[in-house]
Amino acid sequence: MFAGLLFEPTRLPGEAEALRAEVRDFVARELPPDYWPNSDFNEGHSPEFSRRVGELGWIGMTWPKRFGGGERTFFERYVVTEELLAAGAPVSAHWIADRQSGPLLLNYGTDDQCRRYLPQIARGECFFSIGMSEPNSGSDLASVRTRADRVSGGWIVNGTKIWTTDAHRNHYIITLVRTEPPSENRHAGLSQLLIDLRGEGVTVRPIKNLAGGEDFNEVVFEDCFVGDDDVVGEPGNGWTQVTSELGYERSGPERFLSAFRVLVEFVRAVGDEPAPGEAALIGRLASHLMTLRRMSISVAGMLQKGSSPVVESALVKSLGNDFEKLLGELVRLQAPTGQVGLEKCLRQTLLHSPSFTLRGGTREILRGVIARGLGLR
Amino acid sequence: MDRLIAYTAERIFSDHVDRGVLDAAERGEFPHALWDVVREAGLHLVGSPGSGTDDGDLYELLKLAGRHAVPLPLAEVLIANSFLDEAGLTTIAVDGVAPWGREADRVVTVEGEMSVDFDAAEDANLAGESRDRVQLRDVRRVDVPGELYERMALSRAALMAGALDRVLGMAIDYATEREQFGRPIAKFQAVQHNLAILAGEVAAARCACDGAIMSLTSADFAVTVAAAKARVGEAAGVAAEIAHQVHGAMGFTHEHSLHHFSRRLWAWRDEYGRETHWQELLGRRVASGGADSLWEFLVGVG
Repeated sequence: MFAGLLFEPTRLPGEAEALRAEVRDFVARELPPDYWPNSDFNEGHSPEFSRRVGELGWIGMTWPKRFGGGERTFFERYVVTEELLAAGAPVSAHWIADRQSGPLLLNYGTDDQCRRYLPQIARGECFFSIGMSEPNSGSDLASVRTRADRVSGGWIVNGTKIWTTDAHRNHYIITLVRTEPPSENRHAGLSQLLIDLRGEGVTVRPIKNLAGGEDFNEVVFEDCFVGDDDVVGEPGNGWTQVTSELGYERSGPERFLSAFRVLVEFVRAVGDEPAPGEAALIGRLASHLMTLRRMSISVAGMLQKGSSPVVESALVKSLGNDFEKLLGELVRLQAPTGQVGLEKCLRQTLLHSPSFTLRGGTREILRGVIARGLGLR
Repeated sequence: MDRLIAYTAERIFSDHVDRGVLDAAERGEFPHALWDVVREAGLHLVGSPGSGTDDGDLYELLKLAGRHAVPLPLAEVLIANSFLDEAGLTTIAVDGVAPWGREADRVVTVEGEMSVDFDAAEDANLAGESRDRVQLRDVRRVDVPGELYERMALSRAALMAGALDRVLGMAIDYATEREQFGRPIAKFQAVQHNLAILAGEVAAARCACDGAIMSLTSADFAVTVAAAKARVGEAAGVAAEIAHQVHGAMGFTHEHSLHHFSRRLWAWRDEYGRETHWQELLGRRVASGGADSLWEFLVGVG
């Protein structure tokens, strides 16, 4: 009956809401009083903080207990992630492993791989990076040229990955490689390998971003040996796996909260009795934020039911990223001068804003995914 | 919503709301045949006490009505019947304006005045929907539910959510059928991206609207309506613009039916408070707790 995508109205259950207070107490306890919150999940790499999060059972929350998980719901995980993000906590170290590498291993990995990696991840002691983009393969992911050649007992990997967040300080990288030469079906012959970032034949070179940060890297593989027991899923099934991994990557609240601190500081700057135009701006942004939360919670509900909301995730990320950019721009135009906190936030957000609509799939790619979902391609 | 009601409503609206009925209504002719069928099916009582349906069903029905541009004062009738036990057609007036006032047996104002004795001067909104100017005589007070204005605002959000979905469907169909440069225009990336933006706005509008419907009995109802009316109104503007762009000059004609929906979107986003009204109200509530309570407030209202 409806032409568009269905986001079933979904309410967070009580046991999920109950976690909020715990997370807030933890963050208040854990972070120093002079802590300046990160606006972005990509900033703030703190193995110490991640270990403490892991101790509380807030990494791998939905995974089976036998792999160190908590067997909790996606709704509970949603609450923990959004509370950590809203507080601007330094979550970058464990974020990717918790969000997508772990679930990928759970879905496609062997029992042995799950036992080897998931408990460490859940303890907040083992961090993962994403090995997708290459210097000549960005949005056109199927064109990756990093190759793995069959040798006795495993594979020899050669090639270069790029824009690899935290590769210089994480432990492993799940790498999309070509295990068969390109054929007519460009999605065939791809595989995912789990590679030790400190291992032999791996060189990591940091790349400075325009904000001065060194979060992302170039990762070069030169005759790097990967054993058969570190192949994730079936060789040749890489495209299917990477697509499902991207569903996890795109659906979370980090896709609309990157500029959230700007709104907080704007409210601080204008005070509790804002002028009409200021109030309307706050209200406009709040109406978007409330709606994006509903959509993201609805996606959490789909994950909870075991479905794979690839198109819905792309849609939430696309709307969320546009909102993150709009937020900074609109607040900038009404920002009172001389507000140090707000000014700092605005700069930080503006300098990072180009990445919002690039990472995890560009706006253009996401719109293509949505168009396919609408039956247009 | 009850499946049988949804099915019945969908069938009645599909069978009885066509170009002829819509154009006649714009000329000022009340759709009596449609109104009779609606009443025979009991749809005018959805959400009223003793009907076995609730407010949630009422707003779901309004979404369907919006999908079909039903030219009846259905929002007014349903909401009036949810708190008044009176026969006939009751319309609701705000600022002296009441949909189909000329046909109504009774007018209730959002402030809680009621009259069966009134003058109605014909007038219309920009979609050509009856918005008569009424002057009430012999007024008496009635008990109206708290937040009646918000309930009416949500009716417009629900109608818009329905119309938005229709507009998306029309745009997808048109883009798939219309060929230029030897292929359907849906195959062009620029058109696909516009349709993707349109789909995003439609989905966001529906979620914002559903959020307020979920909060009907909650203390945060007014806040969720503010968010819904503001967000859906914003979506309506973007969606109508894109849908027309996709339809090209054909959509600008009176002959094509897109305008029955796009003009309603433009009209409904202004009725019962345009976006800025609700943004300002919501913004004041958000700011009143201060910066450090902002997040708590947002997640508290859900």
